[in-house]
Amino acid sequence: MLVLDQIHTYYDRIHALKGVSLTVERGEIVTLIGSNGAGKTTTLRTISGLLKPRAGNILLEGAPIDELPAHEITRLGISQSPEGRRIFARLTVEENLEMGAFARSDKAGIRQDMARVLELFPRLRERLHQRGGTLSGGEQQMLAMGRALMSRPRLLLLDEPSMGLAPLLVEQIFQIIRNINEQGVTILLVEQNAHVALSIAHRAYVMETGAIVLAGPAADVLASPQVREAYLGG
Amino acid sequence: MRLRSFQRGLRIGAIAFAILTYLILIGLPTRLGVVAMPVLALLTALIFWVALRGGKSKQALAYRAPAPLLLTGATAGLVAGLLTAALIAGFARLLAAGVNVQPYLDKIVPMNIAALYGVMPGAVVTGDLPAWSWLWQAILLTLAGIVGVLLVLSERALRQRTWSTGGTLRWLTILLPFILLTFVIWLGNPDVTLGGNNRGTLRLLAAMAAIGSALFALRAARPGREQRVLALLLLLGLAYLPFTLDQFQNSVMGIVFIFVMMGLGLNIVVGFAGLLDLGYVAFFAIGAYVYAFLSAPFASPAFSALLTSLGIPADGPLISFWAAIPITMLTAGLGGVLLGIPVLRLRGDYLAIVTLGFGEIIRLFMLNMSDLTNGPRGLLNVAPPYLFGYSLGNPRDIFILALLGAGVIAFAAYRLDGSRLGRAWIAMREDEDVAQATGVNLVQTKLLAFAIGALFAGLAGQLYAARQTNIFPDNFTLFVSVDTLSLVIVGGMGSIPGVVLGALALKGLPEVLRGIDEYRIVTFAALLVVMMIVRPEGILPSTRRRRELHDIGGPASESAALEPALPSDYRTLDGGKP
Ligand SMILES: Nc1ncnc2c1ncn2[C@@H]1O[C@H](COP(=O)(O)OP(=O)(O)OP(=O)(O)O)[C@@H](O)[C@H]1O
Ligand SMILES: [Mg+2]
Repeated sequence: MLVLDQIHTYYDRIHALKGVSLTVERGEIVTLIGSNGAGKTTTLRTISGLLKPRAGNILLEGAPIDELPAHEITRLGISQSPEGRRIFARLTVEENLEMGAFARSDKAGIRQDMARVLELFPRLRERLHQRGGTLSGGEQQMLAMGRALMSRPRLLLLDEPSMGLAPLLVEQIFQIIRNINEQGVTILLVEQNAHVALSIAHRAYVMETGAIVLAGPAADVLASPQVREAYLGG
Repeated sequence: MRLRSFQRGLRIGAIAFAILTYLILIGLPTRLGVVAMPVLALLTALIFWVALRGGKSKQALAYRAPAPLLLTGATAGLVAGLLTAALIAGFARLLAAGVNVQPYLDKIVPMNIAALYGVMPGAVVTGDLPAWSWLWQAILLTLAGIVGVLLVLSERALRQRTWSTGGTLRWLTILLPFILLTFVIWLGNPDVTLGGNNRGTLRLLAAMAAIGSALFALRAARPGREQRVLALLLLLGLAYLPFTLDQFQNSVMGIVFIFVMMGLGLNIVVGFAGLLDLGYVAFFAIGAYVYAFLSAPFASPAFSALLTSLGIPADGPLISFWAAIPITMLTAGLGGVLLGIPVLRLRGDYLAIVTLGFGEIIRLFMLNMSDLTNGPRGLLNVAPPYLFGYSLGNPRDIFILALLGAGVIAFAAYRLDGSRLGRAWIAMREDEDVAQATGVNLVQTKLLAFAIGALFAGLAGQLYAARQTNIFPDNFTLFVSVDTLSLVIVGGMGSIPGVVLGALALKGLPEVLRGIDEYRIVTFAALLVVMMIVRPEGILPSTRRRRELHDIGGPASESAALEPALPSDYRTLDGGKP
């Protein structure tokens, strides 16, 4: 479904992605793990078009998308819940969700998806008219994910959905991620919380200083001594 | 507790006294004439209201019991009243004793003190003042303190009960504009002597208050039929204003509403889209100059030469005011796009600086392209609008046109606010990256904001040129941008009625207060600062803004952003039962 082929992304002169290649197949949960500053967020932002690669190709269902502006990539069915949530703090929960469906015009479908999202996150239903900035951290995370779902994506990019959440809540968020995946959404999941991420993903990539250093089925990666040592505390 | 209320009263009273002293020293009483004392008392009540309601938080309003509040208010009023009365009496003594205070206090003229006593200036000079008058002043200001308390209490009641349950105050708010309108019309009767020499000023003030209160009345009305009927009645009432006001009053209103047009346009750029544009005057200037070229081509050496060489006579208007409208608007809109392209990547302060430069460039262009624009000598004899052969150039007609223009722009802005584009603007204002990721085309959205804002400024500029008939580069300085931005901020960023109120407050009031001209800037600067502290969202904010700044709509606060401090019923999260 999604193919990254030798992607190089720069911040001015900083070479952040040094030839990243990865693939995501339809229906999968693929996780991308790695230490701080490895380039995970950069990879996601490059896929969604917020950053332009200087070399390499990105293909969605075989068609190149790396030249397209971000708003058009959204319309092709890629949606992301960004690092640090970045919900629209001054809009209400409802307005945030509506904003997620900005690229769509099918009113009935939007209403349907709104109901679906609120079913997934009942907490949000109670807070529909509260402004986003006053939500708790966990609620904001749910809102960010809900907003990303509102565009009815084929591919959902999640950047550290567990950041700053209590262990119990982390577990629940991951349960929801699995639910979303079961409803047919392909997921590329970036996580610090390697253990949990590897336990729900089908396949995994490990990234270090801008390059993929290990790839394979999640179970294998979880078992690899390299990963155990670096990310799972031995 | 009682001691603290008392101390607060002393402090508030002292502050009010300081403000009153300032107003007396800059000569406000002379300007107000017979109504000086009542107006000062009213002002004091407002000061007390602001001070007593205690800052901006909803809590401050909710948790102060009426009794201590009353103690504070009464103390404050008494303190301010006694001190002010002593001050006035002191000045009166000095003047009666023949002391010449003018070299030190240039506004303490007998007239000023006489206005406060409600007597003729001669009486001050001879010391022939009513004996107990100081008491009357003190009582009036003490009452102001109590009125301030009542204002706080009624505001609180309103908030708690919400408008929809009705109440006397709601009806008063709805009726107020009609009362004020009646007052305006009544004051127009030549037999009325109220206000004396200042009757015209009083009338202008009441007319502006009528318009301002109409906006509050609309907010107080229940949405739906009640609001629609009220809107219709208000519209009918206000439409009568231009026909009852005199030339000067109409001319002030004309300029106020030209600025309403400007403010509505800038509100789109700054309030809706969050782009801080300090060069907004450029589009106003473009509108004015383009209309000047079209209606008085002979005034521009280069343009008239060009026309003559093309065989087009240049000795009269090329096209009518009405036909020029699309041309001036489109030219200004094009200017908006041209400004927008280079600043697409800029945000915040950088954007402000570049746009500021753009505004100045346009002005300098007008100043230095003498062949085209006649430089500092300006373009003269710009044509007024004509309708069926009648000139619409007098202040009354300009006021009507400005009202119509503002109405059309307000309607457009209102529609834009609720539109898809409006939502794209809000998202862009909040977070450009995320907006883009939800499918907002940033380039298009930004350019549209600049262009639409510029269109409206162009229309305002054209009407301004037609009003002035002679325009000069000096009409288009940075201060026009600053004034427009201030009125948007004062009214309440992003709020359409707020723009009208802002224009009345910042463009209308100074005209009323012409007498204290030299102190105008200081006074308004101080007012602005105070306002930004007490009511950062503006006088009549959009509901969204109010939510942004006052944390309405949820118990959780900003600091909750990162802590997963979740209530115990959290287990319902995954859709299952706890
Ligand atoms: N806007 C920027 N300008 C310059 N350098 C940047 C910028 N954003 C990221 N970088 C650099 O690019 C590299 C990769 O950053 P990135 O945010 O992709 O890391 P990450 O893997 O997401 O890390 P984390 O797990 O901490 O979120 C880092 O060295 C970072 O300093
Ligand atoms: Mg990251």
